[in-house]
Amino acid sequence: MFLVPLHGLGGAKDLPIPLPLAVAAATAALVISFCVLALAWGTPRYQDARPGRLAPAALARLVDSPRFQWVLRVLGLVFTGYVAWALVWGPDLVINPALGTFYVLLWVGLVPASLLFGPVLRALSPVRTVNLLLAKATRGDPASGLIPYPARLGYWPAAVGLFAFVTQELVNPQSAYLGSVRLWLAAYLAVMVIGAAVFGDEWFERADPFEVYSNLVAKLSVWGRRQGRLVLRSPLANLATVTPRPGLVAVVAVLFGSTAFDSYKDTIPWQRFVLEVGLNDTLTNAVALLVFCGAVGLTFTAAAMSTGVDRRTGSGDSDVRRSALPDLLAHSVIPIIVGYITAHYLTYLVEQGQSTIIQLSDPMVSGDNLLGTGTWSVNYWLSFHPSLLAVVQVLAVVTGHVLGVVAAHDRAISLLPARHHVTGQIGMLLVMVGYTVSGLYLLMGGL
Amino acid sequence: MSRVSHLCFSALLALVLLAGCGSDESTDEVTPKKDDSGVATIDITFEGDTVKPQGARVEVVAGEPVKLRIDADQGGELHVHSSPEQELEYSAGTTEQTITLDQPGVVDVESHDLEQLVVQLEVR
Repeated sequence: MFLVPLHGLGGAKDLPIPLPLAVAAATAALVISFCVLALAWGTPRYQDARPGRLAPAALARLVDSPRFQWVLRVLGLVFTGYVAWALVWGPDLVINPALGTFYVLLWVGLVPASLLFGPVLRALSPVRTVNLLLAKATRGDPASGLIPYPARLGYWPAAVGLFAFVTQELVNPQSAYLGSVRLWLAAYLAVMVIGAAVFGDEWFERADPFEVYSNLVAKLSVWGRRQGRLVLRSPLANLATVTPRPGLVAVVAVLFGSTAFDSYKDTIPWQRFVLEVGLNDTLTNAVALLVFCGAVGLTFTAAAMSTGVDRRTGSGDSDVRRSALPDLLAHSVIPIIVGYITAHYLTYLVEQGQSTIIQLSDPMVSGDNLLGTGTWSVNYWLSFHPSLLAVVQVLAVVTGHVLGVVAAHDRAISLLPARHHVTGQIGMLLVMVGYTVSGLYLLMGGL
Repeated sequence: MSRVSHLCFSALLALVLLAGCGSDESTDEVTPKKDDSGVATIDITFEGDTVKPQGARVEVVAGEPVKLRIDADQGGELHVHSSPEQELEYSAGTTEQTITLDQPGVVDVESHDLEQLVVQLEVR
């Protein structure tokens, strides 16, 4: 008998982290933030796209060789085809590997993969390959569409796509049934392929929720590009190369807000609240998800703008419009997201990820062992060491916080006029400490 | 600058303390009572469209049996979202089911008929 949980995939959840650990982490976050503001460097260190070190020539040749790129594309396409077989023809059971692949390997797995190897999703993306093959078949150029992509749309399509994903994952009561995943992915495929036909393949960099997410996380890896050449950079220097575009704040707000909501919706106060409200559960959850994402977006925007700027035009290089600040600072939320995602999803990825790899051997749930992983069993070592797990979770959150504060500081002193350097950062610091403290609070089980 | 830092520091401290205090007051963790043979027991009552408790958090010990005593006016199923998941059937009247959870974590026990969380077992 295989059971479908009320909300999404997954069995047991992590134990709440102990209160003393959470308080210690919050205090550390607060003291470090204060130190960064008071003591850190006063001239920007990361803003002029640090050159970085050239990657070894052999590695650069391999990564940039068309043959290697085609190997990755074919791998991505074959694996997608294999999972699509399970998705379309496999039985509608929670152990159908299509579900685990979609919610665990793709959505959660893309974070460590991009952190280690850079923009991997772009290299594997089956929708990119489909676009490329279509262009080849029609002798067109995959890069150009009917019209150029309008710059003012920026990352907004990706923000919408990400919100569509988290709604499917966290709100849709049918999320663990194949039908809803089929529908979601069919819509995704259609939007991607048609969008690329209209705008060219720039569409994927702006609208594909998975690729945009992966590309942003990859900015925290050591892999970067300088005039097209593969270089190694420190993650903070690499992070500063995120191009600010309209909608970047919305993207980070959806990523952070939705993960916070995922923690919050399992707490007893929320479950009771849903019961007391007595409305449709789906509607209540959808509104709450929107409120969480909106709250992150609004607090961040307000904090980024809570500074003095020079209004005189032509007053030097610190001449920046206040309304442009949120998108210019939004990259600094990425480490906070990665830290919190690590804390929130680590056991889920390790344990559900193993289940999925085992299930992948049996896509029709008929006892096959096609990939040879079918006889493996899940190792629950991590769950059996809850103290270690709690320390890892807290370290991830604090590390993300520190990197976020440093990235915001470095950008702020390059943008703000000298007399606003300190006061102009206080709002952002407060908001970031707020995010971290809320994250720790949710990891305590939101008691 | 020092005044600003001071203000900022105090504000943050207040925020942390607030978060710390918030966690103390509303904790309603229950230690389950023991039956005559010393087995932790949780009472669950179904009546029409309602179930009691409605999402209580209960601390249980990993590897030790937990008895669920279910009083119901009609039969149904409870779903235990451990890894792997388990399903417990109950009939009208009183049903006793014993489960043992080996792996530390938080395990939801839900009624899918009512779409409600009944208890959250905190396995330590």
